[in-house]
Amino acid sequence: MRPTGIWFQSYAGEASVLQTRRSRLWLGLLGLGLLALPLTAGPWLLGEMTHLFITLIAVYGLFVTVGMAGQINIAQSAFVGVGAFAAAKFAGLGLPFWLVVPAAAVVTGLVSVVFALPAARVRGFYLALTTLAAQIIFPIVILALPMSWLGGLVGMPVPAPDLFGLNLATPTGFYYLAFVFAALAVWTGFNLPRSRFGRALRAVHDNDTAAGVLGIPVTRIKIEAFFAGALYAGVAGAILAYFLQFVTVSSFTLFTSVWYLGMLIVGGIHTPLGPILGVVFVTLVQESLHTAANTFMQSGAFMGGGAVFALSSVVLALCILIALIFEPRGLAHLWHTAVTGFRLWPFPRN
Amino acid sequence: MIEFFQILIEGALVGLVYGLVAISFVVIYRASKIINLAQGEVLVFGAFMLWTFTEGAAGVGWDIPLPVALLLTVGACTVFGVTVERTIFRPLIGQSAFTIFMAGVALLILLRGLAQLIWGAESRSAPVILPEGAIEIGPFLVNSRLLIGAIFTLVLTQALHVFFTRSRLGLRLAAVAEDHTTALSLGVSVRQAIGVAWVLGTVVAAAAAVVLLSGSILSLEVAVIGFKALPVALLGGMESIRGAPLAGLLIGILEVLASAYLDPLTNGAASGVLPYAVMIAVLLIRPYGLFGWRKIERL
Repeated sequence: MRPTGIWFQSYAGEASVLQTRRSRLWLGLLGLGLLALPLTAGPWLLGEMTHLFITLIAVYGLFVTVGMAGQINIAQSAFVGVGAFAAAKFAGLGLPFWLVVPAAAVVTGLVSVVFALPAARVRGFYLALTTLAAQIIFPIVILALPMSWLGGLVGMPVPAPDLFGLNLATPTGFYYLAFVFAALAVWTGFNLPRSRFGRALRAVHDNDTAAGVLGIPVTRIKIEAFFAGALYAGVAGAILAYFLQFVTVSSFTLFTSVWYLGMLIVGGIHTPLGPILGVVFVTLVQESLHTAANTFMQSGAFMGGGAVFALSSVVLALCILIALIFEPRGLAHLWHTAVTGFRLWPFPRN
Repeated sequence: MIEFFQILIEGALVGLVYGLVAISFVVIYRASKIINLAQGEVLVFGAFMLWTFTEGAAGVGWDIPLPVALLLTVGACTVFGVTVERTIFRPLIGQSAFTIFMAGVALLILLRGLAQLIWGAESRSAPVILPEGAIEIGPFLVNSRLLIGAIFTLVLTQALHVFFTRSRLGLRLAAVAEDHTTALSLGVSVRQAIGVAWVLGTVVAAAAAVVLLSGSILSLEVAVIGFKALPVALLGGMESIRGAPLAGLLIGILEVLASAYLDPLTNGAASGVLPYAVMIAVLLIRPYGLFGWRKIERL
């Protein structure tokens, strides 16, 4: 809903993401603020923000597969893991940084295609089960491969990233690195629904039989949706590998996949704004739980780290259930309602 | 040769336990069209309730006789199943497969977190309910706990099969599994069906917990059995009660054969990956499983 008095003389203007000068200004301010953050913030906040950006990239991948194409993917964390291990391997072989990230993304995409192939035969829930199998098989395979290949139980060290002689292995370097790729993810996430591929995904999501009748190659689009989603996961995994400097299987569990899905659902699965809102909201909830638990422990009460994890999974599960039952369109819809209400005030919406 | 048959017998018995867990999947699906991913967690909940009424109660000085403890567990499972149905799945009747799937995923982490908050993460010994030890049959040793479990599985399968195909309520549940809207228009209560499904599912899961855990270690990790039984349920066909133990036999035997003959070659991965490889193969070749209903997609 636009404020009154704004109209367009070209179709491009009507279709653009940022329609008004004011929205462009707000976005510019936000970008400048995020760019200037390392000047004021300490290493802890920068680390948290880097983590948030990496999560955002992975969740945008889910947005493409789950939100736009409607194919359930519960293996995003395993795909991030594939990206991380691929990046560690390539970096260990001495490939330069700018080559490692795309290579890891492509490897992840190809792995995801293997598990998307049943899309030719099954749909909906049954397809989700193949991704579940991917998530469960991933650690088993990594652990069973010879130690010299992917590190097995121990894990793999990752050399520091280095871009044309510029050392990125500082908190600020990692922050900017993750920021650039997260910005790329957001940019593609907002533009994909407006492209031919994005419209095909949407058609498959709404009714795949009807989409086939319209001449859309349904099976190919479904597999491409998985491929595209896994590209994001691969990028996220590569940056995560550099950021953690060491990759082990235990970082990429089914629970992380559920967290990614939960963030997408809480934020809203149908708009590109959803992943941002969901990731920020869930991260805030998680961090405040951690802080609350820490103060709780300092006051003398007994509370193990496991209990904090259990509590945060209960809270996330409740968030998902509340979102599913009461607001399936997620925080993005609430945000949209609030903005529209603000613009039309004092007149009622509708 | 005797060793080979010994392996086969063990695989078959373990497979029937998988079959029992798979039945709890099938029972819920057959009556409500919900594939409950959290079934492993439901099983752990059942096991913890049983522990609470036996060892836990004994620990605080209340000695509850075993039959009463079992009855209490069944009662608690009923309350638990009804609660899940009322609070989570009733508001979602008629929603898309994606919503139901995500509700199952959310339930999974909710139950995992709750179990950890209520009972703690440490592992403990599960109550001994079935006799331990082995029976010698000819040259073979048969684990008596698993043998009793296998017999129980077969009896339960037949009973549930009769219930779902002969009784009036069972047929009504089958109508709900076919299609919620059609069932509603025929006057079948979808709510009642989902309620019955969850009570049956949790009770069967608790029974599976007894067979699986009696006298061994009870911890949160036991929930993995749910993901192992899922391929079994798919192979048997989600609508087929009698398919589940048969598929369980197949996967159990394949798994022990893989662990005996392939694991030394593959660094222990073959037996772990096998159920899921079977699952993907089933989805590719015969998505409705061995004995499931074949559905025709319409526009």
